[in-house]
Amino acid sequence: MSSVCFYFQVHQPYRLRPYSYFDAARVDEYFDADKNGAIARKVAEKCYLPTNKLMLELIEKHQGAFKISYSISGVAIEQFAEYCPDVLESFQELVRTGCVEILAETYHHSLASVMDEEEFHSQIELHADLVRDVFDVTPSVFRNTELVYNDRIGQFISQLGYKGIIAEGCDDILDWRSPNFVYRVPETSTALLLKNYRLSDDIAFRFSDKGWESFPLNADTYASWLHSISGNGETVNLFMDYETFGEHQWESTGIFNFMRYLPEKVLQHGDWDFKTPSEVIDSYPMREEIHFHRLTSWADVDRDLTAWRGNRMQEASLSQAFLLRDRVIESGDEKLIEDWRKLLTSDHFYYMCTKWAADGDVHAYFSPYESPYEAFINYSNCLRGFISRLEKLEKMKSTISAIGDVLPVELLREHSQSV
Amino acid sequence: MRERPKILMLGWEYPPNISGGLAVACEGLTKALSESTGADIHFVLPRLLGGESAPHMRLSDSFSNTVTYTSTNQPEISHTGVHGLSHQTATAALAGEASHGEQPSLSAYAGYAPGESPIGGQEVHNYWLSHMELYFNAKSEELVELSADDDRTSISKKAHYGANVFEEVSRFTRRVLKRYADTDCDIIHAHDWMTYAAGVALSRLTGKPLVIHVHSLDYDRSGSGRNEVIYNIEKMGLEQATAVIAVSHYTKSIIEKVYGIDSSRISVAHNGIYSKSAVRFYRKKKKAEKSVLFLGRVTLQKGPDYFIRAAALVLSQIPDVNFIMAGTGDMLPSVVELAHELGIGEKVHFAGFLSGKEIEEAFSQADLYVMPSVSEPFGISALEAIHFDTPVIMSKQSGAGEVVQHSLKFDFWDVERFADLMINGLLHEELREDMVAMAKKELQKIRWEAAAERTMEVYQQLL
Repeated sequence: MSSVCFYFQVHQPYRLRPYSYFDAARVDEYFDADKNGAIARKVAEKCYLPTNKLMLELIEKHQGAFKISYSISGVAIEQFAEYCPDVLESFQELVRTGCVEILAETYHHSLASVMDEEEFHSQIELHADLVRDVFDVTPSVFRNTELVYNDRIGQFISQLGYKGIIAEGCDDILDWRSPNFVYRVPETSTALLLKNYRLSDDIAFRFSDKGWESFPLNADTYASWLHSISGNGETVNLFMDYETFGEHQWESTGIFNFMRYLPEKVLQHGDWDFKTPSEVIDSYPMREEIHFHRLTSWADVDRDLTAWRGNRMQEASLSQAFLLRDRVIESGDEKLIEDWRKLLTSDHFYYMCTKWAADGDVHAYFSPYESPYEAFINYSNCLRGFISRLEKLEKMKSTISAIGDVLPVELLREHSQSV
Repeated sequence: MRERPKILMLGWEYPPNISGGLAVACEGLTKALSESTGADIHFVLPRLLGGESAPHMRLSDSFSNTVTYTSTNQPEISHTGVHGLSHQTATAALAGEASHGEQPSLSAYAGYAPGESPIGGQEVHNYWLSHMELYFNAKSEELVELSADDDRTSISKKAHYGANVFEEVSRFTRRVLKRYADTDCDIIHAHDWMTYAAGVALSRLTGKPLVIHVHSLDYDRSGSGRNEVIYNIEKMGLEQATAVIAVSHYTKSIIEKVYGIDSSRISVAHNGIYSKSAVRFYRKKKKAEKSVLFLGRVTLQKGPDYFIRAAALVLSQIPDVNFIMAGTGDMLPSVVELAHELGIGEKVHFAGFLSGKEIEEAFSQADLYVMPSVSEPFGISALEAIHFDTPVIMSKQSGAGEVVQHSLKFDFWDVERFADLMINGLLHEELREDMVAMAKKELQKIRWEAAAERTMEVYQQLL
């Protein structure tokens, strides 16, 4: 038996508003509500609503034989609730079918795993709580932001009790091994599911590439590629951004029709089925331990962290933001803590990436900014505004506590005198 | 077609005697055209001032017809009036001060503040406009007559209008017509408005195609206070040229919109930069105080007032920053005044006109280079700053921004945004370093060879 395991990433960051250096002293709002609402609704129309509808139809049509999983960041769920509740309802409906698994991740889609372990833990718990609230399920398989992974992260997740974790099937790590088996995080009993990046990227990136030898790709051909793995693998892990459907690959490319026919083509082969990550882990043995000696991710050809931590601007702003943690938590101010966490979302740092520009390919990757430098400046200005707010709060608290130390005695004395 | 197309180029200035980007651009372009695309160039200037070195082409003086390859000959300084320049100005030009310190009436690139009346009054303007129109409208036989005119006769009647740049231009035009009426070149290529009359007239006289190369426009220099004579010379030249080359898409769009020229006749060839092997290395000093450099003519076009206003905003946040303003121009007194009014006189340093080594030092020592131009056709200095490891902040109204992606850009009128970018540039070493590292890689691709290839494509279509 072999299985196709789909996991789709659903995420929308809270984009920053244009924030000048001079705003730091006068504006306490860092996020662009209008823009975030508009983008959420646009992507809902183009991707989330039609794709969710299609997935629901496929699940009903195949009567439980078609299964998928999602990882939805906390900040995406929040924005759906606020800007397009129908999207959230359609995800809830999908989860109720029993054929859809929801994975665990960091609430704020952050790089906390490599910056601050305590914060990493907090964000995982916050996300799990949200998933329980919204979907009434408890996630048991973890996927980290952008599939950032190494042995240490795997072991940390294992200690939290997750039965599996998802990572990129990097060639240099796998060596001669195939991504199409279940592996194990070293020195744990936690399963490691590795993305089959060739077959995943055929759908996510190459599908509409007219220069690709397999263009145009249809469900028959793709199913035959999957079936050719029979006997050489137990699970083909197809992990991709959910926005592949309708947003990265427009409807006109035929991506929806491809997906509409794929399940039946896969199931035509009696030895093939669909499983969610948990079911894969429960069904197949863990073949061996795999060591990830370096930090990997699912990003671009480098499959490392250079898209978020590849230049000095990114290093500086990441560490400045994360270093605030103790002070922010100490403040006890819920809105402040929430804002700080939204500022940790990985997208902010991604916009500062300069590595694409090295090839003159400045616009190859989406960014709301005209340049990585403007992304850095806007972020720095927001962080400055945030810090000045934090400082004001700290000053106020210390004043109050100073008064608190003095006041009762004074009051008492005054009181006793008057009596 | 010949193996090496023969190009007769008409220019106004050549290094080391420069007043701005034009001379540098003419040197860079001709070098690459001759060395990498094999053009055979004869470059004609009003006069050689000494120190010119152009082994890649024939460089000659329209007055003496001196031909130079590596000229070190001392030019003759003629009496006042003969070359249309006062003795004082000619000496200043020789000293490399060029037109920065001249009276506006003698400078080809003077700025005109909005509302300022034309220099010398409306009557003078009308006179020169109708005088210059002659070259653009005359028939061939009339042109022969015009060119036969002795230097002084045609304008002697109006001598009381005094020497000015139009007189210089007119004299250059007649000289060119006289000397090159029998040119065997394939193409005439004229750089900026001072040479358009000569280019158009010679093209009509000889039947050779004319390429007009736009390095700057009256629109850039004068804003809304248009100089009618120059504007009309530009418009007539652009209309009558066989083909037009602009130094940026920005300039192309102005030629289209403001001068009404069909875009299909305009090609774009961005300026480039040579990585000079002789570049001296200046190590950036670790200074306690940061500095920001403005380098250019202190005229309306370059936005010096925006620089001062933004500097005041920066200083309100970071007190220890020095603002260096290098260059002179008609707005200098008002800019000095403005700095004092805003109470930042002590932090703004007026360095005057810099040349050669001083410019290199200024670029090297600055933490940021800024170019807040109101309208900048290209702005080669942005490339030079990067060459000396200094990141660039420029207005969006600057052509160089089309090739320098790794820079910060703002709308020239948005003083707060300008200040915001400077503050961040000064506060964050990581931003400066990332920008310079990327910009230097980018600079390797901004080559004069590319401009030469584009220019050669334009030539090919005309041959």
